Amino acid sequence: MAAIEDMAQSAEAVRGHLEDHRYICSSQIATAVYLAYQLRKPILIEGPPGVGKTELAKTTAEMFELPLIRLQCYEGLDEAKAIYEWKYGKQLLYTQVLKETLDEVLQGARGFAESVTRLHEFGDIFFSEEFMEPRPLLKALREEDGCVLLIDEVDKSDHEFESLLLEILSDFQVSIPEIGTVKATREPPMVFLTSNNTREISDALKRRCLHLYIPFPDVELEQRIINARVPEIPPELRRQLVAFIQELRDLDLKKVPAISETIDWARTLVLLHAETLDPDLVRETLNVVLKFQEDIENVQGEVAALTSQVVKHGARL
Amino acid sequence: MDRTLANFIRALRNSEVRISTAETLDAFNAVELVGYRDRAFLKRSLSLVLPKTRDEKETFDACFDQFFSFEDVRREAPGQVRGSEQPDSEGRAADDANADGQGEGEGGGGGERSEAAPAGGEQRRRKGKQKPRNALYAEDEEPDLGPGEMSAPTSALGTLLMQDSKVELSMAMSAAGEAVDVREIQVFTQKGLYTRRIMDQMGLIELNREIAGAREDPAVPVRRLGQELRRRRDWLRGQVRDYVERQFLLHADASGKRLREELLRKVKLSNVEHRSFRLIQEIVYKMAKRLATLHSRRKKVFKKGQLNVPRTLRHNMAYDGAIFDLRWKSVKIDRPKVFAICDVSGSVANYARFMLMFLYSLEEVMPKVRSFAFSSDLAEVTDLFDRNSIEDAIAKTLRDYGGGSTDYGQAFEDFKRSCLDDVDNRTTIIILGDARNNYGNPRAEILKEMYDRAKRIIWLNPESRNAWTVGDAEMRRYSAYCHQAEECNSLMHLERVVGNLLKTVR
Repeated sequence: MAAIEDMAQSAEAVRGHLEDHRYICSSQIATAVYLAYQLRKPILIEGPPGVGKTELAKTTAEMFELPLIRLQCYEGLDEAKAIYEWKYGKQLLYTQVLKETLDEVLQGARGFAESVTRLHEFGDIFFSEEFMEPRPLLKALREEDGCVLLIDEVDKSDHEFESLLLEILSDFQVSIPEIGTVKATREPPMVFLTSNNTREISDALKRRCLHLYIPFPDVELEQRIINARVPEIPPELRRQLVAFIQELRDLDLKKVPAISETIDWARTLVLLHAETLDPDLVRETLNVVLKFQEDIENVQGEVAALTSQVVKHGARL
Repeated sequence: MDRTLANFIRALRNSEVRISTAETLDAFNAVELVGYRDRAFLKRSLSLVLPKTRDEKETFDACFDQFFSFEDVRREAPGQVRGSEQPDSEGRAADDANADGQGEGEGGGGGERSEAAPAGGEQRRRKGKQKPRNALYAEDEEPDLGPGEMSAPTSALGTLLMQDSKVELSMAMSAAGEAVDVREIQVFTQKGLYTRRIMDQMGLIELNREIAGAREDPAVPVRRLGQELRRRRDWLRGQVRDYVERQFLLHADASGKRLREELLRKVKLSNVEHRSFRLIQEIVYKMAKRLATLHSRRKKVFKKGQLNVPRTLRHNMAYDGAIFDLRWKSVKIDRPKVFAICDVSGSVANYARFMLMFLYSLEEVMPKVRSFAFSSDLAEVTDLFDRNSIEDAIAKTLRDYGGGSTDYGQAFEDFKRSCLDDVDNRTTIIILGDARNNYGNPRAEILKEMYDRAKRIIWLNPESRNAWTVGDAEMRRYSAYCHQAEECNSLMHLERVVGNLLKTVR
């Protein structure tokens, strides 16, 4: 615990430690992690796909050496899959087995009232912890030393599920009707929610979270990210590649390339032993960066111009 | 409680960033942790806690920069301005800084300051800067007394001014601003008024008396003090004016806008001036957003599909495990249809514009909308809206179909021919028009046919109810075949109608 305290003592420290784990970030992101830890608040991360939203949660878990519990959201996700579920098979099996022993339990109790009283003494055995299957949210609350809980793509889930999250986000507890309220143990989990903004997240949820928007990185930051992730790339090529991607982002595309695409492209180029960008190389590898045929066709025509511009510009830097 | 932060949040709210009480508390916690020392860090931290969308973050940035600009005030405080004007005395500048430091350090007890040290500092400072400054005070016939011994000021404000403590001055200024409720400032003509009120609150009258008294005084040090005080008073007035200006920008701009919005909501849509269209659009968008969050997608549990085994077992345990009450996995999103038929002839065009705007702003939660426009002939304009932005589509619709004389009979006939078959019992039809048919054949029997097939027919009429049967209006005949006929001529009406629509349509 002390180690985490130490790492999260200032935003700068957080940033440094994240960088040690090869996650290069802006000070805004570092501040978010710092505040989330210090204030014990969940972070809602929004931003275009591929800018490292999920990666931030993963790296934070790695950095703090905490287990990562991940809940992937999708349409139709409900409490049975997110919080807990009863082990129905076990319950059924036990009822069948116990039918035989019912006589012993009742031990010649006379009359209906007496039998029921006798049965009451056994309590709600079938709805106790032994018959419960914890799902990610409940698991996260039960982690003794805290953990990182990643609720991924919360915008994909339904509105009902959002409301389900409210209790755990504000009080770090869930209420199970049959058992009662389960509260987080000593250390509440660090919660990261990510959203791709396919729909507006409700105000109630936003109110309970810090809100972090991760935009596309600027040239300088992206260079450092590539440097950290693909260190074997020649610096000259790295500059050209980043400049090219930045140019692409200004074009009117169906899906603009994100950081993950830049990294993939860098790896591809390293694999091809490229030293510098040239139009043919770009044309051949464009499908790594652009994911729609329409986009690729649109860009094809401009590859030559863009490449020469980027190469020239890169030389000047 | 932290006054500054509370005021900042109020300013943010004025700029339309929605901040709840819970978020305010979070902000206080964050500030407690972060402190005010590192401005950039404070900004980053608050931008995580307060604004919750991208737009809000932009507003926040602007607002923060404007609100937390006290550093500038410090830089222009009297001692330093003058210090920079006398390059000949670096050593003295250092001394000045020293004295400043003292002044700030002493904080609240500043009034009781010993005379010798600050007066000495004053003297030295006056040496180099006296002449250039003097030109500004032409009304002042009195000869400049030059540097020399100066007596100590007696009035509270005078003491404060002579202390060179910018922090205290700006604190006093804020306190005075608070006392006269400068945040209530509404229109720019009030700036002068508030400047004077703040000056008065800070003790201007007393100071003026002292200055006037000092002028008549035979002793040179006292007269010298008078001159110095006057200079500082005028400097202070400039500062207060800037302060009021900032407050005005932060607080009044938004409340003025809110006032306008409030009015626009109620005004008749046909009377809206063209220059307010932008604002109306914003309001419509905002209203739509609110309705959208209120009526998010609803799902219907469906009676067939994949069996949800755990649920079924659990549910049937009560029946000794005999499975007869089945539970299904699939839920179906209910997506009924809405047809909007708009009269876009001259008199009603404006209403059509706003209703279409409203309907299409609700895309996220609204079922599929098909829209039709007519003045005499009816045509479907749905794909205009698919291909263009809302504003463009509306403009094109009005250009292509608007302007003719109205013929409801013809329009209904066209509707029957082109898409009556698509109307089913999940369809809601909204008709917007004044039902003024120029004494033509109303063809109410087609409306009856629509009425029989559709789930609901809602007629929105921009005219007030008592005009519905006057002249060539056919409302009486039509309303027999409407589930609901409403008067609708302002944004408020529109909001209510669309809100009800969302409730009933699904």
